[in-house]
Amino acid sequence: MSAIELEGLRKVFRVRERTRGFGGALRGLFAPRTREVVAVDGVSFAIAPGERVAFVGPNGAGKSTTLKVLSGILRPSAGRVRVAGLEPGRDRGQLGYKIGAVFGQRSQLWVHLPAADSFDLLARIYELAPAEYRARRAELMKAFELGEIAEKPVRQLSLGERMRCELVASLLHRPEILFLDEPTIGLDVVAKATIRDLVRERSLSDGCTVLLTSHDTGDMERVCERVLVIHRGQLLLDRPVEALRRSFIPRKRIRVVSEEAELAIALPGVVRLPSAPHKTELEVDLRAIGVDRVVAAIVASGRVLDLSVEDPPMEEIVGAIYGGARAAERTA
Amino acid sequence: MSAPAKYLALAGVGARRALGERAALVGYCVFLGSVLFIFARVWKLIGVASPLPGVGPRELVWYLALAEWAVLSAPMVYLAVEADVRSGDIACRLVRPVPYVGAQIAEALGEAAVRLLALGPSAFLFAWFFAGGLPADPRGLLLAPPLALLGSLLWVLSLVLIGLSAFWIVDTSPVYWIWQKLGFVLGGLLFPLELYPEWLQRVARFTPFPNLCWAAGRSAFGFAPVEACALFAQGVGWATLLGLALYALARRARARLVVNGG
Amino acid sequence: MAKLRPTLAFLRALVATNLRASLALRGAFLLQAGLMILNNLAFFAFWGILFGRFREIGGWKLPDMVTLYGVVACGYGLAVAILGGTRNLARAIADGQLDPLLVQPKPVLVQAVASASTASGWGDVVTGVGMLWVAGKLQPESLPFVIVAVAVSGLVFSASAVVVQSLAFWAGDVAELARQLWNWTLNFSLYPRPLFAGGISFLLYTILPAGFVGFVPVDLVREPSLAQLALAVGACVGWCALAFAVFQAGLRRYESGNSFGTRPS
Repeated sequence: MSAIELEGLRKVFRVRERTRGFGGALRGLFAPRTREVVAVDGVSFAIAPGERVAFVGPNGAGKSTTLKVLSGILRPSAGRVRVAGLEPGRDRGQLGYKIGAVFGQRSQLWVHLPAADSFDLLARIYELAPAEYRARRAELMKAFELGEIAEKPVRQLSLGERMRCELVASLLHRPEILFLDEPTIGLDVVAKATIRDLVRERSLSDGCTVLLTSHDTGDMERVCERVLVIHRGQLLLDRPVEALRRSFIPRKRIRVVSEEAELAIALPGVVRLPSAPHKTELEVDLRAIGVDRVVAAIVASGRVLDLSVEDPPMEEIVGAIYGGARAAERTA
Repeated sequence: MSAPAKYLALAGVGARRALGERAALVGYCVFLGSVLFIFARVWKLIGVASPLPGVGPRELVWYLALAEWAVLSAPMVYLAVEADVRSGDIACRLVRPVPYVGAQIAEALGEAAVRLLALGPSAFLFAWFFAGGLPADPRGLLLAPPLALLGSLLWVLSLVLIGLSAFWIVDTSPVYWIWQKLGFVLGGLLFPLELYPEWLQRVARFTPFPNLCWAAGRSAFGFAPVEACALFAQGVGWATLLGLALYALARRARARLVVNGG
Repeated sequence: MAKLRPTLAFLRALVATNLRASLALRGAFLLQAGLMILNNLAFFAFWGILFGRFREIGGWKLPDMVTLYGVVACGYGLAVAILGGTRNLARAIADGQLDPLLVQPKPVLVQAVASASTASGWGDVVTGVGMLWVAGKLQPESLPFVIVAVAVSGLVFSASAVVVQSLAFWAGDVAELARQLWNWTLNFSLYPRPLFAGGISFLLYTILPAGFVGFVPVDLVREPSLAQLALAVGACVGWCALAFAVFQAGLRRYESGNSFGTRPS
């Protein structure tokens, strides 16, 4: 049985213009002006238990909306939704025990108290048996290295520390599914790496399904095995992360540092990118020519001091997808 | 731009802001109406046995209307000043050509003027309706506007003073509440000082509070131009004192800024 | 009801956490509570002076006024100290702060209102208890009625506030309106009963919650009777039911995504 199943999800919002002041509020009550916005338009996918899936897309693409439908915060306009075997709109109360959620910008921790106090309250919310709760809490606090951090008031913590506490809070009740909405937003590079590794490890050891939304493709690469790309409310792509890179943009980038100021390379399928003297940057179209031939040509044309062969940055891959570069797609 | 013109312009800013918050103005009018409704019933129930000559339930309702009129028109300028101090904005504003304090006062007076104009007719109509007519000597009402305006000025001056205290105290709201309560009690907001026990009346006369509410309110009791002028002069005196206190405090504040770096 | 035990445990934990959070800022807590006591006493001074002068207003004497103040201050104080989130509910709704609560398996309204505490409320409680003691209402024979009255007063106040704040689900910027009504209700619950003897005013003050926050519970303390008890408790239950119903309706609207300020993304 799938952990998450979506079939033809459609979510339409009737958006009203926000009013100012109470004259406007009164008007808003009786004669509102509305327009329709289709946030999600026929999205379907299924996620197996234990999978880690990234939900990627630009702002306004429909990621957060989909996540909210899955976690029961919003009701779909049309379509079939099953999460942990339950229908989120109808069985929200029951679903609460089986899912955990971390919304990057909204906290479930009490700001003036230590995180440990929030954990205790959550134990009551999720009706956890005391002994089981204590054991679980100890396990998570060790894994997330919280120790002293959990004893300080949350408002005194750094963003990275706070996010670790939030994650522990969302995992206390052993949810089957964890929804993460922009979990690494605002974090520095080190904190991002820490969070990503922790989420991945937890998912592996607990067997919990993870669905995360992000702008940051690093989240996608380090945590997840599968990517769902959404744009303008529609699912553009549903691929394993690796396949995305390999098949989608069949290009590689080669950076060379040479003794000569300039290298003479002229091969079909090789494009020279602008760069500084002594440095050469080439983009190789793998459909036209193999990397080995290009490298051989480079080595033959001058004295090479440094050479690297790279995949194009993930941003570019994803950006190309949004740009509708589907024509260039090669089947995986 | 000359200094008076600058201040006038700032008053205009405050006035325009008050005009923009129409819903709040309606709220104040409704509040005024409800308070008058309540107290009209209080005075009716207590009956005509009023200890003051020529002052009956009707005049007492008018008294309240005028006193509230002065009080409700003063904007919460202490909040704005406190916010400036907290955010540190005040650091750059204290060195601008128009003295910061003067600017705040001018803006607040602009707002107060708009509110006085907006609440005036409501106060009049509500009082007339709930009291059941004009006071025994309606000429007294003509003396009310300047006294109410002066009352508003005194409120504004004291509120700016409270706001400036944010330099030393973190949260000025408690100071405001206490000042407001003192103003209501010693200023005779809900009923005239003449109804207070002797000792309390004596205490009140040493404070500026009576000029905040009572001075405007007692115009409901009759046409007494001489007394009104005396009260006005007294009010001006208090305003000057408060102004001096403001000046001194602002200088201390600036000194503190320079020392602490804002 | 197998659910009763864990639900009670949850409620107890929620209130305990809330109280702990409000005590976390020690200095501010004491200051706010202390100043509120002063504030209340000064406010009451009016009635003290008035009754001192005029002995009685329509049959009510100073002790009656003290009782009124005591009950309302206690009720209101407990309401803002324990259910402090009520005051901010409209803004929480508008800012989407309910989302994390929707994902949890416990009732959203309870969590939303019981997750904040206003420290000054304790000052009100202290004032209220003091006044009730002065009025001689803390004797064993009147104490149960006092407790019921205080509970009714506080709950009706909170429930009516929830109803108004929940309008944010439909109309957006209700914060200012809610604030005015909040102050209004409190203000008008503090006026003596005889003022509302006339037909229309009596009606107004029972339909508007001020009557059920103020003189109905107080009448229960002044002249306890089964009928008064039934009226007070009935009104309380009615208002609470209304509050839940309105909030649930609003929540359903929120879940449809069509409430104000929802930004689809």
